[in-house]
Amino acid sequence: MNQRNQPNKGYQSRVRANVMRLFYWNGAWGAATALMTFGPKFLWNKAASFTLLAVGLDVAVGIGMMLANKNYLAELDELQRRIQLNSMGVTLGVGLIVGAPFAVMDSYHVIPFHANIAYLLILMSLTFAISNLYGTRRYR
Amino acid sequence: MKNRLKVLRAERDWTQAQLADALDVSRQTVNAIETGKFDPSLPLAFRAARLFALPIEEIFQDPALDKNGSNLATEIKTEIKKDTYV
Repeated sequence: MNQRNQPNKGYQSRVRANVMRLFYWNGAWGAATALMTFGPKFLWNKAASFTLLAVGLDVAVGIGMMLANKNYLAELDELQRRIQLNSMGVTLGVGLIVGAPFAVMDSYHVIPFHANIAYLLILMSLTFAISNLYGTRRYR
Repeated sequence: MKNRLKVLRAERDWTQAQLADALDVSRQTVNAIETGKFDPSLPLAFRAARLFALPIEEIFQDPALDKNGSNLATEIKTEIKKDTYV
């Protein structure tokens, strides 16, 4: 085996490159979302044309992030893909199970605060991180 | 599913990382297959067979087959048939 002195370089380097690409796209999307959220108030005094441009930029960068994520998943091996799929399944389930009652509770003023979408995003992010960690440890 | 991946790897003095590199998967995947926590797909099993130059059934064993090669599933079916007609 001629690769014996280069342990696992091909697969690992491909995955590492995809992780870095995904990281940059995530950062760019976060920056574009911040610009879209705070720009109208602090940068261009709520001018509609600039706000629309910021929304367009956010959507465009968001599509780039989605494609980077798709490429990242496509390059993973079958076990890693299974771990990701399980994590996404759990996250989707938790999002639906918690999201719908959360919205209902807000509608009927059962909770003393507004059901902001940010709470759901935080919950889904945490769920994904925990189930991914669990999956990784399970197959270690 | 039982497999002889660990034995075959040890015979060639390869590390898990080296085998993972040859199979184009992560080291974690090789470890999970060796420990029986994860069953590989057919394409990955064929890659392993090509790498070790062995038939696929000499690396991965059907869990329904015992050490002597007799098919437990067939034996169970035969027993069930006997019970039915006795």
